[in-house]
Amino acid sequence: MTDVAVDARARERLSLGWWGVAMLIATEAALFAMMIGSYFYLRFKNAHWPPPGVPEPKVVVPLVLLGVLMLTAFPMWRAARSATPRRWLLLALFVQSGYFAMEVSDFQDDLHHFTPQQHAYGSIYYTLLGADHGHVAVGLLLNAWLLWKLLFGMTEYRRKAIRAIAFYWYAVIVLTIVVTLTVTSPAFAR
Amino acid sequence: MTSTVAERVGRLERQWAERPGVLGWLTTTDHKRVGLLYFWTTLVFFGAGGVEALIMRSQLIKANNSLVGPEVFDQLFTVHGMTMIFWFIIPMTTGAFGNYLVPLMVGARDMAFPRMNALSFWIFVASGIFLYIGLFSGFGPDAGWFNYVPLADRHFDPSRNIEFYTLALAFNSIASTLTSANLIVTILKLRAPGMSFNRMPLFCFAFLAASFGLIFALPSLSVDLLFLYLQRNLGFHFFDAAHGGSSFLWQHLFWFFGHPEVYILIVPAFGIATEIIPAFTRRKMLAFPLVAIAELLVVFIGFGVWAHHMFATGLPSTTLVFFAGATSMVVIPSTIQVFAWTMSIYTGRPKFRTPLLFIVGFIVMFVAGGLTGIMFLAIPFDQQVTDTYFVVAHFHYIIFGAAVFPIFGGMYYWFPKVTGKLYFERPGQISFWIIFVGTNLLFFPMHIVGLLGMPRRVYTYPGDMGWTSYNLVESIGGYVTAIGILVLFANLVVSYFRGAPSGPDPWHGPTLEWSVPSPPPEYNFAVIPTVSSAYANWDSDDRERDGHRLTAGVGTLERGHEQHVSSLIDGWTAEIVDMPHASPWPILLALALSLLFAMLVITKFMFAAIFLVIVALTLLGWHGKEPQER
Repeated sequence: MTDVAVDARARERLSLGWWGVAMLIATEAALFAMMIGSYFYLRFKNAHWPPPGVPEPKVVVPLVLLGVLMLTAFPMWRAARSATPRRWLLLALFVQSGYFAMEVSDFQDDLHHFTPQQHAYGSIYYTLLGADHGHVAVGLLLNAWLLWKLLFGMTEYRRKAIRAIAFYWYAVIVLTIVVTLTVTSPAFAR
Repeated sequence: MTSTVAERVGRLERQWAERPGVLGWLTTTDHKRVGLLYFWTTLVFFGAGGVEALIMRSQLIKANNSLVGPEVFDQLFTVHGMTMIFWFIIPMTTGAFGNYLVPLMVGARDMAFPRMNALSFWIFVASGIFLYIGLFSGFGPDAGWFNYVPLADRHFDPSRNIEFYTLALAFNSIASTLTSANLIVTILKLRAPGMSFNRMPLFCFAFLAASFGLIFALPSLSVDLLFLYLQRNLGFHFFDAAHGGSSFLWQHLFWFFGHPEVYILIVPAFGIATEIIPAFTRRKMLAFPLVAIAELLVVFIGFGVWAHHMFATGLPSTTLVFFAGATSMVVIPSTIQVFAWTMSIYTGRPKFRTPLLFIVGFIVMFVAGGLTGIMFLAIPFDQQVTDTYFVVAHFHYIIFGAAVFPIFGGMYYWFPKVTGKLYFERPGQISFWIIFVGTNLLFFPMHIVGLLGMPRRVYTYPGDMGWTSYNLVESIGGYVTAIGILVLFANLVVSYFRGAPSGPDPWHGPTLEWSVPSPPPEYNFAVIPTVSSAYANWDSDDRERDGHRLTAGVGTLERGHEQHVSSLIDGWTAEIVDMPHASPWPILLALALSLLFAMLVITKFMFAAIFLVIVALTLLGWHGKEPQER
């Protein structure tokens, strides 16, 4: 025998890759906490938020889109547990791509009404949303990479990768909830 | 058919062998090699930061001196601060000591993410080259290491100097984050069977604390740097009061990172102290659980005290009092550790060899720096001495005394482990005394000259202020310190070539790294050790059993590039995994990222986007080869 026996008492089955993603999420959560902290810091430094001449943030469309993004947690969760994860991943990628396209279009539409160079409000608004959309884009690339890998069959490495990437998506969804509620908050605060 | 011990070891040697030559070093993922690469590179930056300090001290040696002008002096003190913090102490502790020693101490064969480890090193090197390209081309950062706006805004600093600050630091932060994530997962998941949390060396607790500190503090700096970059280059308004921004936002974000950073600098040094003290006093550390908790707590409390750097900025009194109170709490975990170190030495049988001398020097300097730190809690006193040399004296006692002294002690302590040679003791002790006297000559008069009103960051001063003689003593202290450091390194270099063989365990050290040959083989442990206490190398029964297991072929993991993964709390073996080996992808990815950052400095965003695509393609190549299925 040349092995170290796996201890039956060790029930944990989270891969090292999952732990790596957990570290990424921890540091990204801190990053967003700082940006959101900055948003409210600037907000409380200003008497008018948004400033005069800048329209109130849209509420209905971002919240509906947020709901759509939240729903994609289900196919990701199924993919992480299924023997045939490709269809679940494909479904998730399809909806996530739709979400991303709508958000990018919404972002461009906002830029027609006010710019980040106008006032600190626009600066933090676009930076916060841009950072969030960037994280969604990375998630899309990761899902696309997984689907490409799965074309060549399933391995233990790929199974671990699906779990780790699903974990990343849950975190992106939570971040997006917080970011969306932050940028739409002036509409609720009246 | 059963294999002999020699056959087993031979198999391990073949499986874990590194490529020879320069290519081997460029593509290595071995934690010991990466640790050594960090060590040498960091020393180069230490030399650069030291030369900058000596030029500043030479400029200030007399009144109205004109060795360097104000523009150069601004760049010197800014780059000196940045270098010593981000390119010397953090990479020396987490990158060199952490990388080399943590896997050995927890009984692992490598770090949890070997290629990411190599990547963090190459990014670190690139970020340092980046900073110094700025300095040598006359665009060195010049607004102080905390780079306050509006001074650092384009209006007052229109050239590229601040872009070198923001992007070099952002780049460096990526390297530190990768190293920290790697250390955390290694400590949490690669511990030897039986090494539950309470049996983990205090050194690992310290590195766990520092790594968590970095993971949560660096994002605050990154956000600040991003905001500044956007404001300077794309006309955003985060810090611009005329457009709804606030210059205070820079300071809050900076110090939310900057204060935990102080503990991130010194906690690994605490960890080094908790290794050296047991080895040279022949006793286990006193109050082990309290010291472990204090190491974690000091970083945790460090996140709640940042505004004490802003006492003179006009914040409301209630805020000041709150932060003064919060800061006073840092005394509790710090004092627990000071008492534990001193009483462990007092109640043990201390042999004052060079490493322990450096630790005693560290305790003296830390207590002195800590006492002036407490003085800042008196808000009016803080407001009086803000931006004077008193502050410079305080933080150099902490950073040089409390962070660098243990690093020097650690260099001597682990020198036999890394090289297989003994250092020369007498020159070692002489180097300690020269450095100890030199640093006190250098930094103590700064307290007095600060109280006399000398502001920091002035490139010269008039002769009739009563500061001249103090400055002369400080400069002499600077040269003496430099001589002491040269003696230290000369001793280590000569010892490397002429030192007597050390054997695996010259100090009868307490932790697992002393149970393997010196220098350790590529696979670290021929048999995965089992552990039943935090001082595993002193448990001779366990180590004897490891020998029997090697003979019987139990726990040797010799079928491939194998590593055991443990359960989070108890250290039970949960899985055996195949680890990556030498790879060209880390250095290629670091190169692509360097070009991306270079394009951001000169604001060529289209080219930056192209390099971003190349970064993504490199990552694709990185993940092309999958580990062996077991």
